[in-house]
Amino acid sequence: MTLPILPTTMVGSYSMPSWLERLKTEYFARRISRHDLDEIHDSAVRSAIKDQEMAGLDIVTDGELRRDNMIDYFLERLPGIQIDRSSKKFYYDFYDSEVIGKIPMASLGLVDDFKFLLANTEREAKICITGPHSLCKRVRNKHYQSEEALATDIARVMNMELKELVKAGAKHIQIDEPYYSGFPEDISWGVKVLNILVDGVKAEIGVHICYGNRYGKPSWEGSYRYLFPAILDAKVRQLSLEFARRGGEDLDLFREFPSSFELGAGVIDVKDQSIETPDIVAERIRKVLQFVPAEKLVILPDCGLHHLPRDVAFGKLRSMVQGARTVRKELEH
Amino acid sequence: MILNLNYTRRDSAASTSSEVVSTFLSLLEEKQITPSQFAHLHIYLDWLQYKENFREPVSVVESEEGEESQESASPRMDVRIDTRQIAPGTLRGTVEQAIYPEKREQCKRGDRVYLEEFGSFRASIAWDFNRLYWQRLKDWESVTGRSYEKELPGGSSDGHQPQAIADSVERFWKLLNELDKQGRLPQEAFILEIGVGLATRAALWLDQFCALDQQHGTNYYPRIRFLLADYSLASLERSRPAVQKHLELCSFIALDALDPTRTLSFLRHKILYVHSSNMYDNLSDEEVVWRDNRIYWVEARAYLSAHNTERIAHECDISAADVPRMIHRLLEVGAEALPDRRKGMAFWMQIWKAMRLEEKLVDAIDLPEATFPAGLSSAQMEDILKDAPSDLRFHLSSGALESFRNTLPLLHPRGYLQVQDIFVTNLHEYSMGFYGPGKLGGSIVNWVNGALVREVAERGGYDVHFVPFPYRAGSKTSTLYTTRRE
Repeated sequence: MTLPILPTTMVGSYSMPSWLERLKTEYFARRISRHDLDEIHDSAVRSAIKDQEMAGLDIVTDGELRRDNMIDYFLERLPGIQIDRSSKKFYYDFYDSEVIGKIPMASLGLVDDFKFLLANTEREAKICITGPHSLCKRVRNKHYQSEEALATDIARVMNMELKELVKAGAKHIQIDEPYYSGFPEDISWGVKVLNILVDGVKAEIGVHICYGNRYGKPSWEGSYRYLFPAILDAKVRQLSLEFARRGGEDLDLFREFPSSFELGAGVIDVKDQSIETPDIVAERIRKVLQFVPAEKLVILPDCGLHHLPRDVAFGKLRSMVQGARTVRKELEH
Repeated sequence: MILNLNYTRRDSAASTSSEVVSTFLSLLEEKQITPSQFAHLHIYLDWLQYKENFREPVSVVESEEGEESQESASPRMDVRIDTRQIAPGTLRGTVEQAIYPEKREQCKRGDRVYLEEFGSFRASIAWDFNRLYWQRLKDWESVTGRSYEKELPGGSSDGHQPQAIADSVERFWKLLNELDKQGRLPQEAFILEIGVGLATRAALWLDQFCALDQQHGTNYYPRIRFLLADYSLASLERSRPAVQKHLELCSFIALDALDPTRTLSFLRHKILYVHSSNMYDNLSDEEVVWRDNRIYWVEARAYLSAHNTERIAHECDISAADVPRMIHRLLEVGAEALPDRRKGMAFWMQIWKAMRLEEKLVDAIDLPEATFPAGLSSAQMEDILKDAPSDLRFHLSSGALESFRNTLPLLHPRGYLQVQDIFVTNLHEYSMGFYGPGKLGGSIVNWVNGALVREVAERGGYDVHFVPFPYRAGSKTSTLYTTRRE
């Protein structure tokens, strides 16, 4: 399937319905079965896919509705990570987890999620994975000599999983590394580990770096300047960054540090419940085009839509698509 | 009969509770009430710490009956007794008047001048009086000769306590220093004070911060942007002289405390420190009752006794029939409502002092169908009430919750919100004390339901903890700290 110029996609998560939150919490309180929860997830994911299609996105995700949060869904699957399952009250909270031995190689079972997505859409599909740097920041390290060593082993395990995903048909893979922004001093080894993660993975890979979206709020403030020049060594096709909420000041960096990266430009503020008009979105895209050529530009929200009500999330996606279409037409003339 | 002893003061509990029991038993023995009626009596004994309040010594809270109750020969009757107000030897007469339907109706028809229809207390005319007080505080103070702070327990605001301010300054300086070491110190360090009073606290805070900054040689002071916010332009104007030395760093912002983000949306995620003191307890509020897995809304209507209406009318040279109209005029224009301003002030103060609330319980609905203040879902409420005592009446703190929820988006990721106020931090406390509404000067005082605030915060990704105010012995104030949770 050929993608249009300025293709549109999500960063990953779609609106988490309050009823699903409740049912997830019920599951964690052992009041509903795993089987029932799986069925509920299947229905919710189908619905999220349908919303993205109706909004007109070119590349869809599964909305990450099976995940309790962006960390625990992966840590639970990593062998060698010990999790205190009594440590959370609300499904979205983080577990307390620790690593006390070397992480062995093992399948993480993400392929089934992706196959389900593929089976339920005819659009291009993308799977999003939390990166090793962000994961290692949420694990108490009682074994490895350094966080880098821990992240490296996580990357090796996940690299195998990415290859399995490619075998299953994954063409678009997004690695989420928001914790880079919280720990800019790690960026050099963070990129090294990222490269281990994507080594030999034959897919279009992007890395999403935002300033956090925990509970719909930023976790850090600052500038993307810390990424450069280290990020230029990343063996990925796309950088996905947030610009809608923060404004476009950091776009200058793309002029200052020329690269071959595509830019996934966040043009939807996911931390504000007001729905941008298509005109506002178009204006944001035009601004990005002053720094990045259209053939290197992908249009997406600043981050996941997890914390937005469904009608707001859908409205924002639709505005994003309409704004992108407006600019596409301008580019055609 | 079920007797609920909602206070633990030994001084009045022993005599009043036994007097209450013997009074109702004698009514039963004398066949003034039937055994069935007796069995359906729920007596609540309170001790109201606010000498000025909205309660009669004995009041009956009626319920709009559900189907089940209508079928019952003797529906439940809730009788609330203020053991502080009830005079020795008067209990029986007051109880008889309150509980007999015919006497109650007669009393209502002949002895009460209602100022509004039944509705949520949040929409009551009492809050219009509260607003009038803050808008025309100087008028009130000039008549009483006392500043509003003198009305507070302890005679001054805990918000101005010098050591509390010093600790607050130090905490903030440490935050800036930490951000500085991480290379994340913003060019402008925003601080928001909501409800400025006379800016006494703001001035002390800035003085002390300036001194601490100089002592450490960190030069953070010029980065400070201190936002003094209040809904009253008059208050903002009055606050200016206190911070004269720091005017370059100060901005004076008219702002609705219920929705600070609406005014300050350009500072979303940028404010490092938000502070308020004695504000949440003065935001409009309402109460609910949790009983038999159902939520009942407490509706209220303000009234004056006919006796007080006539007395006040006489003192202010107006006709008793004209009192309701004059009250609405008072709320529009203040003491100038009357040709003689001095009498206008007397009218305001007397009406406020005499105002009482009649209550009823309505809309008994199942919990999942109930609508709570924004940010608080019925599912959350269900979680909160899971371990709560049955038959619990508590504040929703709607105004405080609204303000809290609409302030959080302003916080910088490392920012924090500090609220000095009076909090109920555990729902169980509601069955052990009276938490408002009371009257303080010309304003309303209501304890804030901290348990609900904490729940809203936790679901929104914030940690909340309450620390008793350690700087004044006997202080009822707690400090709520809110920080971002990862």
